[in-house]
Amino acid sequence: MRLDTALGGLLASVALAAPALAQTLPQTPGPKNAITDVPGIEVGHYTATNGAGGMTGTTAIIARGGATAGVTQRGGAPGTRLTDLLKSEKAVGTAHAVVLSGGSAYGLAAADGVTTCLASQGIGTPVANGAIVPIVPSAILFDPGRCAPFNFRPDASFGTNACMAANNGPVAMGNIGAGAGARSGGIKGGIGTASAVLPNGVVVGAIVAVNSSGSTFNATTGQFFAGYIASNPDLAVALAPSPAPAESNELLRATTIAVVATNARLTKAQANKVAQMADDGLARALRIAHGTGDGDTVFALATGTVTANPNLNQIGGAAADALSRAIIRAIVAAKGIHVGTCNVNSYCELFPQNCSQ
Amino acid sequence: MRFSHLRTVVLLLLTGTAGSAGAGSAGAETPGQNNAITDVPGITVGHYTGVDSGTTVVRAAPPTGQGVAGGVTQRGGSPGTRETDLMRPDNMVETMNAIVLSGGSMYGLAAASGVMSCLEAAGIGFPVGGPNVVPIVPTAVSFDRATCNAPPASRPDFTSGLQACLAASGGPVAQGNVGAGTGAVSGGVKGGIGTASVVLPNGIIVGALVSLNSEGTAYNDDGDLTAAAFELDNEFSALTKAGGNRKRVPPSLPGGALRSGTNAVVATNVQLTKSQATKIAEMADDGIARAVSPAHTPGDSDTLFVLGTARIAIGTLGDANAVVTQIGTAGANAVSRAIVHALIAARSTPCQESYCDTFPSACRNRR
Repeated sequence: MRLDTALGGLLASVALAAPALAQTLPQTPGPKNAITDVPGIEVGHYTATNGAGGMTGTTAIIARGGATAGVTQRGGAPGTRLTDLLKSEKAVGTAHAVVLSGGSAYGLAAADGVTTCLASQGIGTPVANGAIVPIVPSAILFDPGRCAPFNFRPDASFGTNACMAANNGPVAMGNIGAGAGARSGGIKGGIGTASAVLPNGVVVGAIVAVNSSGSTFNATTGQFFAGYIASNPDLAVALAPSPAPAESNELLRATTIAVVATNARLTKAQANKVAQMADDGLARALRIAHGTGDGDTVFALATGTVTANPNLNQIGGAAADALSRAIIRAIVAAKGIHVGTCNVNSYCELFPQNCSQ
Repeated sequence: MRFSHLRTVVLLLLTGTAGSAGAGSAGAETPGQNNAITDVPGITVGHYTGVDSGTTVVRAAPPTGQGVAGGVTQRGGSPGTRETDLMRPDNMVETMNAIVLSGGSMYGLAAASGVMSCLEAAGIGFPVGGPNVVPIVPTAVSFDRATCNAPPASRPDFTSGLQACLAASGGPVAQGNVGAGTGAVSGGVKGGIGTASVVLPNGIIVGALVSLNSEGTAYNDDGDLTAAAFELDNEFSALTKAGGNRKRVPPSLPGGALRSGTNAVVATNVQLTKSQATKIAEMADDGIARAVSPAHTPGDSDTLFVLGTARIAIGTLGDANAVVTQIGTAGANAVSRAIVHALIAARSTPCQESYCDTFPSACRNRR
């Protein structure tokens, strides 16, 4: 009994320290319902189209003042840069940008463009000889060869352009940036973003490029697997029969890559934990997720403008939900491509009754 | 002084750990023809050497198919890496095409894109349908302090990688102030590229290539190179005792994030799985620890890759775990030896004195 009481007291104190508010649904989005609702976070897209339906691009998520960064990498076919540095035990904890790109491993070159862009603006970690080194982790997705020659892909200039375009305003979604050439379970994928306002001034946001082997919705009803997480402004899902989407042929050529951000002040280890929890939002929205051909990678950035002791469960849980919502918003925002022999349907073409726009 | 007594001890230890896989007797291990990583069939090396920085590529060609299995260990606290996630055994892609080591800190990662371009043009890479390939090019960079200019006069970029890849060849490998070692520093002396190889009695060949750019020193308080103890066949004939003039022994570099790092590649002719290559990487990494102190500091990038070029099936060599132990042991020694070669080969620059100029008595036999 004594032990029970002691344990009860311990639990009570833990509960006091971490009130269970994190999982309240629906989330309250910030004014832009975008990752740019997180103070200190900017987003820039650069998109290339070839006129024949082919699209690819780069999305740079920039933390000009630096952000404590973490990552989780659970997809089986990743293409990544500087993820080792983000491990909790490594010496550098601050990232200045995260770059998401199409182009498979070739697209990692875009991060080089973001690196030089930031360096030219004096943004980076000071090292010896007065030099600065911008810390720019990156992950890519596989989109080459879709309605385009295989070598239609991002290079360093895409990163430069995305970096130059970065701002903290509303974030365009759908067929843009790293999501331009993305597909998801046989339909058009894309970029999505969402945010949530938490108590005590904490804001959490997510941005994702959905290019998944798995699907985001029930093929018969069109109902999103993570629909129960969606906020009212995100979409209105109705039940109605519709034609089933095409079989996914993307099993070995996929990848959903994302960034979650918060203005809470986190240690690097906490940022890694938040990334791990946020990754569950990907699992809830996608079936399958983290497959062998998926390079699924989720980064976490903490800009630290709210200095209060962070409630990790609240932030990690909210980041997961924001990521689920961002995935739904990506699929709803994506536009079908119908140019000559290049044809890929969008979700809203398949289920117009579920889409308000 | 050839450390011959220590060498015998090392060889005995080697033989002792080889288990059923090791049929040889002490002394039967010799360096390969060029005492270089290129002694491993399928391995070619190319350097691009800029004014004060550069890039080194280690390419791996399998006997058939695309790429060879690889593994990595990453223990330095300031890594700058690409595609190391992909190399984890639980991830899908099992074929690596080249490893890039580069100076230029994070900027130097751009060299990997140039190597990808070079390999794609040759049709080399992971097949992704039709004639299309994605070359798998894991990369590690480090901050090279001996770039005497600020900012550096030459920072490795796409073109550096492209040129290093096009320059790749078998045969002897240039060492010292070349490629990724151009601007390298090791403790208080000039670092650089070093390479070494060993042929084991059972036909296993193991080679190492190191870009020595360490915060710690590879010499002891007397100025003698710690890893000279791993000498094979009089390979360090250029080396003698430093003379024990303690006043002249430069200390380790001051620490600091992103300031240094020794990156390396170990290759073998044995066919490996990713898991086996990863284990060998962990063991071979001890070769850095034995040669450099301190190693794997917060400021070091220390990242070590392993490639298995699949000329010998591991099953023909005996128990797989014993073979992995044998390769890992030989790999560690080859890494230590390559570090000694790097220091003997390195030359003074306007802003960093070489080991041989710091300890002229140690190198008085150098040709």
